[in-house]
Amino acid sequence: MGHLGIPGMRPSDLIQGTLDVLILKSLAAGPRHGWAIAKRIQAISDDVLQIKQGSLYPALHRLEQHGWIRAEWKRSETGRDARFYSLTRAGREQLTDEMSQWERLSTAIGLVLRNA
Amino acid sequence: MSRWLDIIRLRLRTILHRQRIDDELERELHDHIDRQVEELIARGLSHEEARRETRRMFGGFDAVTESARDARGVSLIDNVSRDLRYTLRGLLHEPMLLLAATISITLGAGGNIAVLSLANELLLTRPDVRRPEELVRMRVSHGSHASYQRWLDLDASGALAGIAGYSIERQLNWVNGDAAIAITPMLVTANFFEVTGVPLAMGRPFSSVEAQAERNPRVAIVSHSFWQRELGADSGVLGRGLILNGEPYTIVGVLPPRLRSIASLALAPSVYVPVNRSILPEMLKSDARVVELVGRLKQGQTLAQGRSQVNAADRRLGRLQGDTVYAGVQDFAPVGAMSGKMMRTVGAFFVLLGLVSLLVLLIACANVAGLLIARSTTRRREIAIRLALGGTRARIVQQFLIEGFWLALLGTTGGVLLSVAFMRLVNGIVLPVPIPFEVHLAPDGTVFAGALGLVLLCMILCSLFPALTATRLVLTPALKREEPQYRTRHVTPRGVLLAGQVTVSTVLLVTAFLFIRNLARAQLTSPGFEVDRALVAEVGFLQGRPADESVRLLEAAAERVRAVPGVASVSYSSAVPLTMHGGSTHGTSARIDNSPGIRHVQFAYSLAGPGYFATLRVRLLQGREFGIADDRGSPNVAVVNEEFVRQYFDGRSPIGSRIQLLSESRPADLTVVGVVANGKHVTLGEEQRAAIYQPLLQNPEGLSLAFVLARTEVEPGALIPPVRKAIGELDRSVAVEVESMRSALAFALLPSRFGAAVLGAMGTLGLVLAMFGLYAIVSYTVSRRVSEIAIRVALGATERGILRLVVRDATVMVGIGLGLGLAIASLATRPFAAFLVAGLSATDPLSFTGTAAAFVLVGALAAWVPARRALRVSPVIAMRLD
Repeated sequence: MGHLGIPGMRPSDLIQGTLDVLILKSLAAGPRHGWAIAKRIQAISDDVLQIKQGSLYPALHRLEQHGWIRAEWKRSETGRDARFYSLTRAGREQLTDEMSQWERLSTAIGLVLRNA
Repeated sequence: MSRWLDIIRLRLRTILHRQRIDDELERELHDHIDRQVEELIARGLSHEEARRETRRMFGGFDAVTESARDARGVSLIDNVSRDLRYTLRGLLHEPMLLLAATISITLGAGGNIAVLSLANELLLTRPDVRRPEELVRMRVSHGSHASYQRWLDLDASGALAGIAGYSIERQLNWVNGDAAIAITPMLVTANFFEVTGVPLAMGRPFSSVEAQAERNPRVAIVSHSFWQRELGADSGVLGRGLILNGEPYTIVGVLPPRLRSIASLALAPSVYVPVNRSILPEMLKSDARVVELVGRLKQGQTLAQGRSQVNAADRRLGRLQGDTVYAGVQDFAPVGAMSGKMMRTVGAFFVLLGLVSLLVLLIACANVAGLLIARSTTRRREIAIRLALGGTRARIVQQFLIEGFWLALLGTTGGVLLSVAFMRLVNGIVLPVPIPFEVHLAPDGTVFAGALGLVLLCMILCSLFPALTATRLVLTPALKREEPQYRTRHVTPRGVLLAGQVTVSTVLLVTAFLFIRNLARAQLTSPGFEVDRALVAEVGFLQGRPADESVRLLEAAAERVRAVPGVASVSYSSAVPLTMHGGSTHGTSARIDNSPGIRHVQFAYSLAGPGYFATLRVRLLQGREFGIADDRGSPNVAVVNEEFVRQYFDGRSPIGSRIQLLSESRPADLTVVGVVANGKHVTLGEEQRAAIYQPLLQNPEGLSLAFVLARTEVEPGALIPPVRKAIGELDRSVAVEVESMRSALAFALLPSRFGAAVLGAMGTLGLVLAMFGLYAIVSYTVSRRVSEIAIRVALGATERGILRLVVRDATVMVGIGLGLGLAIASLATRPFAAFLVAGLSATDPLSFTGTAAAFVLVGALAAWVPARRALRVSPVIAMRLD
């Protein structure tokens, strides 16, 4: 099973590790809790990318173990306590790296698809 | 940088606060679910529908928790702790396996730990002195011992913070009531305690001023065990007198218990006495080798600096004496380190012991591996199911390793306990030598670290091979509980294991056999004289007694012993071959047979009384031996041995020839009057040495110790008391020790006896373990073939044919192992030649064939017994088995 679900598409069609970048990117604007991360990715992608909860939380734990994000309990907008994730400095660097890699890759794939 | 600290902190949190993290995750997930439900309700679903839909979208709650844990890297720890519990339960359900494996490893590991703690105590532990890291042991100029003057000059040179000397080679007579007892003192230079800082339990050390040899010091410090054993632990011992060599000494201090002396190797002298002229009359001669040197480095001085300073000082001193050839530092090492020839020999012995004990461990582990492989065959189905269900091979191998860990831990713990018991035993052993040894074995950090290493080693040795073979199986037949039993597989894991085990065992046992044979041979080897029915009486002379008086006393003693009924003949000498006092070795320039050239001769040297060779039954080959007339009034004569004739007379008859020894300290002009057969002088294993004997009556000066030798007509034991009485009545102050020649030689036989005892024990242990393992594996292999045997019988195979087949298969495997083992052993035992008596080669055929025969026999038996049993099983039942 892949991490992301796109209706009508097999999960393996998406490149591994993409979820990590998406999470990092969604945190670039500021701290969010898990639910908000999933909603944000879904909304920005016009509901194309639906993150499965069963993938989101392991991914968050993995990123935290890498030291790219950190978590703390805070009162959320609904008045409930939620675990808020935010980028660390290493996380920001990682995001920049991954994004430039993604740009290079997608440009390359685009070139091949258009011109080959 | 701080990121790595963060990561470490996170990993630690992950390990230490697992429960809290799981709780937090649960709260987080519930929060998520609640929001999802709320959102769905907001879209118009009923509460019920929203919950159901959320559950469907979410998937398994536990699965999420589990994969979050995996993401944190917790699973390894989790799995290990689960496997620890699981495998322990499994092992406890098989008590026979657990017991056999534990005993096997206990025996194997126990030997290793015992050897390690002995080596640790004898070789690695530093002596008890102040700041041992600053103290160095050194050899300068000629050898292990320096002259008194050289010590004095070196200490005064200021090359080091201080240099002290000690000697433990001499014996003193201690008059205790009516009896005189020979004790081994530590003779030390006046500054010994100041330089070394050896601690005292009571009293005070002697100062370098009061202990100056020039003042003829009469102070003594006694060891704790001497104080307890011989002085009745007298609390008022300080100031008490001690009559040593007939002179009164005052006890000024008592050493602490269990003191590790500076001489190391567990040597524990009873009394510390300052070097003085009445104990060492020759001490001021420039070529008298008096003391071994220890020095203390100056503050901030490195070992290399110290060495070069001492080197420069010694060379300068040597030049002043016109000696430029040998001057300089020969050896310079911290105390407690492996240095010096003696230490190297002992070290080599321990390396050998260590190797042998590791081999025993290897055999023990091979046994356990064999048992585990045998068991894993019955667990094939379980393993196959787990592999089929997606269990990874690594995971199953890990479980095997953890199983091995339990066995290794239990076994090694048993081994530690066993070796502690062994240490208790060794601490109480009294060695048959006149030097007091005190071994203070106790497990310490080094030994503990060694034991931990053994656990890991055993774990890997025991379980890696079984784990790899067990997980390499092909699934389908394993699931169907079939064994590929009818295929002819020449190389099976069990076969390899069997052959390997036989190989290791063979190497071990050949070595052990060799040493046992060495001992037997050593006792048979002719030392050049007749050992049985002979008595040795050691007579310590009072120092300072005029030479003439000593000789008169000796003659009188011999006369009295001759009168004892049962004594056939009597003589006396300055040395007894193969004892602590086996004579000295001289090397000097000499002119032989008036030849114009001067050559260097090297020879064993001793002084013999009239009738010496007849009494010891040394064969006289030419000429005559010494008589009563060969005294100071007659021409100087000598007897030489065959080897001397061979080396220096080119085999010509030397009778009547002249030997001029041009030594500075003992020049001599001798006429050869006799030639005797070769004999051994210091050790049985020594190369044949040239020897010169001179009449004791012609050279009685400076004699401190002599031996009255008696050839008896009966077993010598019964004559010990009358001989002791006969000599003792002559002079009460003379220490007399009478023993049979055989027990006097115990010292010469000690290294080989000790080696043979330890290696013999190891060898026996290894043999028992190897036989046990061999039997287990062969009989297991054969018992797996019960249904094959049944089919063969059903098809008409004869009983003889089956037995032949089974025994042949086992013998082939054992044979391969044997071949390999013998080949390795013949290479491996080569370096041990130095420990063997002459005439016994390192590839001793009897040792080799004996081992081979034992293995083939056990292998055949182990195959035969289960095969017989298999033949008695009805074919119908046998084919349904399994």
